[in-house]
Amino acid sequence: MQIHQYDVVIVGAGGAGMRAALESSSRVRTAVISKLYPTRSHTGAAQGGMCAALANVEEDNWEWHTFDTVKGGDYLVDQDAAEIMAKEAIQAVIDLEHMGLPFNRTPEGKIDQRRFGGHTAEHGKAPVRRACYAADRTGHMILQTLYQQCVARDVEFFNEFYVLDVLLDTDLRDGTVADGEEVAVSGVVAYDLATGETHVFQAKSVVFATGGAGRIFKTTSNAHTLTGDGMALALRAGLPLEDMEFFQFHPTGLAGLGILLSEAARGEGAILRNSEGERFMERYAPTIKDLAPRDMVARAMANEVREGRGCGPHKDYVLLDLTHLEPAHIDAKLPDITEFARTYLGVEPYTEPVPVYPTAHYAMGGIPTDIDARALRNNTDVVHGLFAAGETACVSVHGANRLGTNSLLDINVFGKRAGIAAAAYAATAEFVPLPESPADAVVEQLEAIRSRASGERVAELRAALQQTMDANAQVFRTNESLTQALADVKALQARYADVHVQDKSRQFNLDLLEAVELGFLLDLAEVVVTGALAREESRGGHFREDFPSRDDEKFMRHTMAYRHGDTVTLDYKPVVVTRYEPMERKY
Amino acid sequence: MTATLSEPAAVGEVPTFDVTLRIRRFTPETHGDEAYWQEFTIQAHGTDRLLDALHKAKWDVDGSLSFRRSCAHGVCGSDAMRINGRNRLACKTLLKDLDPEKPITVEPIKGLPVIKDLIVDMEPFFASYREIMPFLVSESQKPTKERLQSAEQRERFDDTTKCILCAACTSSCPVFWTDGQYFGPAAIVNAHRFIFDSRDDAGAQRLEILNDKEGVWRCRTIFNCTEACPRGIEVTKAIQEVKRAMVTRAY
Amino acid sequence: MTTIDAPRSPRMTRTTRRTTRGNVEMVGWLFMRISGVVLVVLIFGHLFVNLVAGEGITGINFGFVAGKWADLRWQIWDLLMLWLAMIHGANGVRTIINDYAEKDSTRLVLKVLLLTAFVTTVVLGTLVIFTFDPCPAGSPADLLPSFCTA
Repeated sequence: MQIHQYDVVIVGAGGAGMRAALESSSRVRTAVISKLYPTRSHTGAAQGGMCAALANVEEDNWEWHTFDTVKGGDYLVDQDAAEIMAKEAIQAVIDLEHMGLPFNRTPEGKIDQRRFGGHTAEHGKAPVRRACYAADRTGHMILQTLYQQCVARDVEFFNEFYVLDVLLDTDLRDGTVADGEEVAVSGVVAYDLATGETHVFQAKSVVFATGGAGRIFKTTSNAHTLTGDGMALALRAGLPLEDMEFFQFHPTGLAGLGILLSEAARGEGAILRNSEGERFMERYAPTIKDLAPRDMVARAMANEVREGRGCGPHKDYVLLDLTHLEPAHIDAKLPDITEFARTYLGVEPYTEPVPVYPTAHYAMGGIPTDIDARALRNNTDVVHGLFAAGETACVSVHGANRLGTNSLLDINVFGKRAGIAAAAYAATAEFVPLPESPADAVVEQLEAIRSRASGERVAELRAALQQTMDANAQVFRTNESLTQALADVKALQARYADVHVQDKSRQFNLDLLEAVELGFLLDLAEVVVTGALAREESRGGHFREDFPSRDDEKFMRHTMAYRHGDTVTLDYKPVVVTRYEPMERKY
Repeated sequence: MTATLSEPAAVGEVPTFDVTLRIRRFTPETHGDEAYWQEFTIQAHGTDRLLDALHKAKWDVDGSLSFRRSCAHGVCGSDAMRINGRNRLACKTLLKDLDPEKPITVEPIKGLPVIKDLIVDMEPFFASYREIMPFLVSESQKPTKERLQSAEQRERFDDTTKCILCAACTSSCPVFWTDGQYFGPAAIVNAHRFIFDSRDDAGAQRLEILNDKEGVWRCRTIFNCTEACPRGIEVTKAIQEVKRAMVTRAY
Repeated sequence: MTTIDAPRSPRMTRTTRRTTRGNVEMVGWLFMRISGVVLVVLIFGHLFVNLVAGEGITGINFGFVAGKWADLRWQIWDLLMLWLAMIHGANGVRTIINDYAEKDSTRLVLKVLLLTAFVTTVVLGTLVIFTFDPCPAGSPADLLPSFCTA
C-alpha cells in the first residue's frame, strides 16, 4: 500500500473533473485520479452543443435560458442554480474558446449557434439558436481541449486508478449522526489497475466527477465504464442521492444498439416519422414539434410504437428522416452521426431514414450539492472537503428532465466552481487524519471476490439487471412494473453476495473491476426503482402510467435516498423556487 | 414523402453465425513470459461488432481475457487493436465485414510494450503527444469575448481536430516499429491541429520540435497511418503539410 | 502455428528523447526531392544521347565516349550525374539502415561500409572523368575519336 498526500484529489477525468483540475491545480497541489485515460472519458461522446445566450446569431438572453431550463426540468429544478448556470454559461463558452476549442463560426467569425430541443426565445414562443457547437463533435472537442490545457499546466494524473472508497472522519453509514454535526473528508482509496496495488490518497478536498450510471439499463448511449462509481461510493458512505428516479431517455438512439444520434440532427431540420410516414411530433408538441424536450419526444416515440405505428419487422422503432437535407449540409454539420448510421446499421442517411428508439442517456440525479458543488449529507449540512460536479452530482439544474446541451454546460460551470471551491477550502483547512489501516475494507472486498473459487457470474447478473430495468423502469413505469424491478434487483443483490471472477491475476484484472462495478450498478438500480415507486406522479423523465399527471402538491420536492444498512430509505427536500411558479408544461 | 420511406433491410431478421477468434494472449502471471494464441468460437449476430465477440469470449468463456474498451462506438479510442493484420477499433469493426468463415486474428497494436493480452503500455505514445505542445498558445491579449476566426481559417485544421488518440496510426507505422523513437503520426497530427490554427502563436516552436532527427523527416509516406485511422483523418497529408510548412519557414 | 516474439520490447524504455534538432534532416529530405528531379533530366538526357540520337545504340564505342568527354559540357553533365546519383542513393540507403537496422553496432558497421563504397565510387568516377585520355598511344586509329591525330 502506498500513501499519497495532495491538497485536492479529483476523482474522474472527464469534462467536470478536468475543468475542476484546471482551476484547482493553479492554486493548490492537485491530483486527478481516473479509471480511464482522460481522453477516453464519455464527455467525448457528447455531440450536439453547449448552450449559452451569446446572442451571436439572434436575440437571446440568459434569463430565457434559465426559464427554458426550469420548464424543461418540469419545475423540479432549483432555480437559483439554474440561474447561475445560464448566467455563467456565457463565460464558460468564452473560456473554452480562449483555451482553443475550435467552435464552428458565423460568417463574421463569431461562434456559431444552432437550435436545440427545448431552448426557446421569449419563454417558449419559438425555437432559438443558442447551442454553440463544433460540428457534431462538441463533447469530443471539449474533452480534448480540457486535456490539452491540463497537459499545458502539468496537471498530475493517476491514469487507470480506480477509486473504491471515500474516507470520512465520521461513520455515517447507520444514519445516526445528528444534523448539524461536523463531518469532514480525509481522502480516498484507489486500486491501481495496472499492478493491483492499493493506494491511499490523503486530501483536504475530494471532488467526485465520475459521471453517470447508464449501464443499469440494457439499451444505453453510455459507455461500458459508466457504472455510477462516485454515486455508489457516496451512497455506501452514508450520503444521500438526490432525484435518482429521474433518468433521461434520449429519443434518438440507433435502434437496437442505443448509440446516440445527436438532437442536433433535429436541430438542423431532421424529422421523426412513424410507419405511416407521419410527422407525429406535430400531435404531441404543436409549437416546437421535433424540438420538444427529450422526455416528451421519447415518450411520444414509445407511444407510437405501442399503438402499432412502429417500423421494421417487429414494429419496434420509428424513423429519423434526414433525406430532405442537403448532403453537403449534413456533411458539414452532422458528419459523425451519419457515419454511425452507415457503420452500425448500414443505412445511408442521405437517402434512407434512420431507425431510432429511445436509449438510456443521462442521470438527472446524483450526489446532492449546493451551488458551490459542496456535497450534502442531508438536506442542509455539507461534508467538509467533499465536492461533486457533473453528471454524478445533482445541484439540481436539470430537475426532472435535462435539456439537450445543458450537460456540457453543467460540467463546465459546476466543474469550474467545484475546482475553485475545493482549492479554496484546501487552502485554509488542515489534513484530517486518516483512519487506521484505511485500505483494509477495500482490500478485503476485492480479495473476497478474487478468492471465491466458484459462484455467480458477473455477466449473467448484469444482463439480468439490465433486462429488468429496460423492461420495468424505462420510459413507461407502473406500480406493478417497478415492484417487479425492485424484487428482481433485490434478488440479484442476494446473488451478488456470491459473485466470483475467473481472472485471479493482479495486473489489469478487468474481470474483478467489472464485478465491483456490478455491485455499484445494483445499489444504484435499487435507489432508482425505490424512488420511482414512491413518486406517484409523472414529471419529466419519470412517467407513471398509473399516475399520468404531475402532482405539485405532493411531489414538488426532491427525493433524498439514503442507504442505511441494507435498506434504502427516502426523505424529501424542498425545491428552490425564485421567480418561476410551476405552470403546465406545453410546447 | 411516404413513398420514399423505404425500410432499411439491415435492421430486420439478422442471421446468427459462428465465428472463431484467434487471439494473441500474453498473461505473464499465469502462462509465463511467452505470448500464445488462443481460439474462441462464439455465436454472433449479423450486426455484431468485433467488440461484441470479444465481450462474449470474456463474459461467457474466459474472464481473464483482457482488453480496454469504453464507449463502444468509436469515439473514445480505447480499443485499437490489430485485426487480421490491420489496425482498427474493435467497436467499429463489424464481424460480417471480416469474412467470418475464417478465424479472425486479433493482436495487440504493435510497437508499444504489451502488458497483458491486448493491453499495451500507452505511456510512450502519450509522451510523444505531450512533447509537441498540444495546446493553444496565444501571446496576444485575450479579448473579453471570443477571438474571431473565419470559417475558412477554422476549416484549415478541421481534419486533425478529429483525433481521438487511439494510437492506431502510430502503431501501424513501420518507422515507429523499429525503435519507437519516431514521434509518430498521432503526435504530428496533433501538432498540425495547432500549427494551422489561426489563433495559435507557437507554430514555429512546434515546427522546431518536429524538425528533430526523429521528427517529420522520418515519415516515408507509407500511408499505413491514413489507412488505419478510424476517424478518417488524412494523416499522411497532414504530415506532408507540416513538412511543407517547415521548408517554407526555412527558405 | 507460427512462432511469435516475446511481446515486451526491451528497447521501449525511452523517457525523454535525445533532442537532435537542426536542419540536417530537412536539408537531406529536400535534397532527395530536388536531386531526384534533376537526375530524371540528367539520366534521360544521357540515355537519349547515348542510345537514341545519331546512329543510336550502334554508334557507341570508345571513340564515342572519348568524344563526349573531350567536351567540357559533357564532363560537367556526367560529373553532376555521378555525384547526385551517389549522394541520392547513399542517403536513401542511410535512411533504410536507420529504419531497419535495430542495433547501434549494426548501424555503425553498415554505415561505414556504405561510406566506403560511396567515397570509392565518387573518387574513382571523378578521376576518370577529368583524367580521361581520349587518345591513348599505340591504339588502332579506327577505334579512336577523329580528333586524335598522332
